[in-house]
Amino acid sequence: MMQFLTVFKREMLESGRNFKWIWVPLVFILLGLSDPLSTYYLPQIIESVGGLPEGASFDIPTPPPHDVLMMSLAQFSQLGVLVISLMSMGLIASERKSGVAELVLVKPVKYSTYVSAKWTATSVLVLVSLFAGLLASWYYVNLLFGDISFLHLLATWFFYGLWLLFVISISVFMNSLFKVPGLVGFMTIVLVILTSIVTTVLNHILDWSPAKLSPYIRMMLSEGNISGDLWATALITIGISIALLAAAIYTFRTKEMA
Amino acid sequence: MALLTVKNLKKNYDGSPVIRGIDFSINKGTCVALLGPNGAGKTTTLRMLSGLIRSNGGSISFEGLDDQTDIRYHIGYLPQHPVFHSWMSGKEFLVYVARLANLDKKTAAARADELLARVGIADAKNKRIGKYSGGMKQRLGIAQAMIHQPKLLMLDEPVSALDPIGRREVLNLMEELKQETTLLFSTHILNDAEEVSDELLMMHNGEIVESGPMEMVRQKHRVDKIDVAFQKDFVPDESLLTALPSVMRIESNRGIHHIFVTDTTQARDELLQLVQSEHWPLERFEVGRASLEDLFMKVVKS
Repeated sequence: MMQFLTVFKREMLESGRNFKWIWVPLVFILLGLSDPLSTYYLPQIIESVGGLPEGASFDIPTPPPHDVLMMSLAQFSQLGVLVISLMSMGLIASERKSGVAELVLVKPVKYSTYVSAKWTATSVLVLVSLFAGLLASWYYVNLLFGDISFLHLLATWFFYGLWLLFVISISVFMNSLFKVPGLVGFMTIVLVILTSIVTTVLNHILDWSPAKLSPYIRMMLSEGNISGDLWATALITIGISIALLAAAIYTFRTKEMA
Repeated sequence: MALLTVKNLKKNYDGSPVIRGIDFSINKGTCVALLGPNGAGKTTTLRMLSGLIRSNGGSISFEGLDDQTDIRYHIGYLPQHPVFHSWMSGKEFLVYVARLANLDKKTAAARADELLARVGIADAKNKRIGKYSGGMKQRLGIAQAMIHQPKLLMLDEPVSALDPIGRREVLNLMEELKQETTLLFSTHILNDAEEVSDELLMMHNGEIVESGPMEMVRQKHRVDKIDVAFQKDFVPDESLLTALPSVMRIESNRGIHHIFVTDTTQARDELLQLVQSEHWPLERFEVGRASLEDLFMKVVKS
């Protein structure tokens, strides 16, 4: 436990010193803000860039509040996932590549501790950033479109957070396979995209794929209650994440570290 | 008493053997030099001992430890090119590795301060490691290896990359360290091995080709020869030298005459007599001590 906290704290310190604790939340806040604002001000934006041609009438319906919040989630799914892959691609790979891992791993620290502490540190940063981003989106949705309860926001954070933890787990697993950070980032993104594509193609079989979290969250927001499918998908996602983490630790053990 | 016993240790890379089954043991309290040319397998051996890479056979056993205990509690290791988190300060890094070695907070901070002073970088302890010079990094590297008071300290080429001043400082530091722990260090520089260590392990092509206490190894490879040198520009009459009964042959190289003899005691008397009677301006006279370099060349070439 002490070693876990040691690695965890060092990781936190590093994220602080290289300003990850500033720019990652900031990116999520900007992503969260952009959709409620741009959707609300769309008529004015169209007006200011020249407007519609004379006589054309164009009615833009105001979307329901949960649709706007889902637009923000879509942003997190694209740019947010990209940011997570980029910031975590060197999590372990760069330490192995540079040789710092040589100094750290000759100390009696368990590989499982080392890997899980790094996973946890990244997860905390991402979950806090996601919360900040959601809060920004939620604030403007409430202001400009209509109410979404705070409880629903928390549920959205929890369930969507699981999807991002899944992405981090993929990244940690890739970190155990490859020594080159760029390759780790690339493979993480490929795997995330693959998960989405496979889920879309095999939609009728894969009811509880991690990529289904988003659609179920949408249902939850529009219908107001958490479906059994959402719980099941959440459990499956947690299960796969743990499996990925275990696989990463196993790979580290069998592989030669430095 | 052997602190570390290595039996038939092997390592292959991509199917070809790099370490071909080596055996050796290291006694408690000794300072052992792992000597060998580049590519002999010194680093691979040290990395296997430190647990960073796995062997392809053979055993490494540590005195008083069963297989369950994590060997890393008892060894300190300095890689050939230590890399640190450059954004951390020297002290932060030492406390970090101390905590990884399960030292409590107070002890960790105290050990870090003590070692920083010991290795002589206490002034820079709050500076970012990124700003350290090569010599300072090497000393920080030694400090991190010593942090948990290991029973065996392994240093991989600790002085090879340093300038003469840094080299001297690290050698002095090693001289001190060997008083309190068992030291194993690799080098390809013969003088360093000769200067600091008590025992020698010589490696070549993944095998141990010579080992033992420094004096014994020297004795064993002793060549019966006498080196003489005279004042500059003086050329002795070689025919007088070869005429001596105990002299076999003479090789001259840059003013030093290597006189190979049958019996050093007899040859010494004869030579000194000759020098005195001929009034040769003798400057240097050395009997039968083959330097490690001769041995090194002999071993590597054979």
